[in-house]
Amino acid sequence: MKVPEKSHQLWRDIVTGSRAFELRSLAAKMVLGSLILSVREHPSPENIAAGVDQLHAVFTKNEHSPSIQDDLKTIFG
Amino acid sequence: MRQHFLGTDEVSELILDGRTLILAGDERALRTLPRGDWLGGTIPYFITGEQGGVCSRDKIFVTDLTGVVTDAAIAFYDQSTLARVYAEGPRHGFSFIIIPATNMTHLFFALKAPGFRDFGVRPLIGWIAGIHLDDLGKKTPKVFNGKTLEVFEEGALVLHAELPADKVAEIGIVNLFEQGEGDTLVFPSDGFVAKSVLVNGEKMNLAAYLLDRKLDTRLPLVADYYGVPVNISFKTVHEADGTVEFYAPVFSGVRYRHAKPVADYGDGFRQLILSGSGLEADRVVFSCNCILNYVYSELEGKKSEPFTGPMTFGEIAYQLLNQTLVYLQLHDLEPV
Repeated sequence: MKVPEKSHQLWRDIVTGSRAFELRSLAAKMVLGSLILSVREHPSPENIAAGVDQLHAVFTKNEHSPSIQDDLKTIFG
Repeated sequence: MRQHFLGTDEVSELILDGRTLILAGDERALRTLPRGDWLGGTIPYFITGEQGGVCSRDKIFVTDLTGVVTDAAIAFYDQSTLARVYAEGPRHGFSFIIIPATNMTHLFFALKAPGFRDFGVRPLIGWIAGIHLDDLGKKTPKVFNGKTLEVFEEGALVLHAELPADKVAEIGIVNLFEQGEGDTLVFPSDGFVAKSVLVNGEKMNLAAYLLDRKLDTRLPLVADYYGVPVNISFKTVHEADGTVEFYAPVFSGVRYRHAKPVADYGDGFRQLILSGSGLEADRVVFSCNCILNYVYSELEGKKSEPFTGPMTFGEIAYQLLNQTLVYLQLHDLEPV
């Protein structure tokens, strides 16, 4: 499954914590562990956009890994 | 077989054969090795396939990456350059880092890594080098660059490794600890030392709280990172000045709980592996576990199959972890 564009609403929903998914990728979970906290403390549009950039990069640069493929299916169906 | 527990003569032969190796051993053993394609760190504690947990100043734990990676380059980092460690990782591969315990780079990495550029984007695994517990205060942990035979107490060495086009690296952890049902602890600032803490929202002195509740400090504090239990191990509780030292930093705003006790580490470990964590043992290239698990859970002579490796002063799976087994697996590339 290809990684959806950064503009997809679900990226924003994940980094703001408004949607949560049970993920497999350790990289994604480690990033989200601190990212959601940071966005919650400073929920500016810039901070949210930076969070989406970081999470999107984790998925894009690792899109061939089995756990990322599983997580893409979990999040985007 | 990619991992071996060998004498220095046998390791020297592998090096002279031109193999690409990651080594863990006592300083005296590592200093006997010839120049070659290897990266090493000091530690004399290991879990081996044959003997289980063992302490040896003579033998070296070998992870052989020959044929696994297509290219490998060793780079030195210190506080001024470490923020680039993820961004400078290979386009298709992984990076392996060894940092001597308690040096400034170790502390800097522990506190700042999650904020470095490309954190989580490129796989970074590794460990914190240590010493024999009898040598605490007498010797210092070190890392070795086998290509130059340089030895460092300060800084970090990183092996940036490229993989074949059809392989992909994934890092995983096995953590037997999980959050208990007790109080929620939140710290006001990041650091390896804490004095005050919010316990269920009420400000308290941390040392007094731990002593008053008689909490077992062999069990770590555990945070929940999007479903991943991340441990912070206690180092020392100073009753006199009310401070508490940790082996990894606590981070402000993160909710911690004291861990549930683990009855038997070996048993718990086997159960976790059998429960189906998605782990495929034959894909594991490297693993290491924590010296605190070795000591507290009395792992000498006990096995943790399918994992073997050094027992370290800290484990790195993207960021610094405590009391956690970390491992690197290689998978075939998934079609997208």
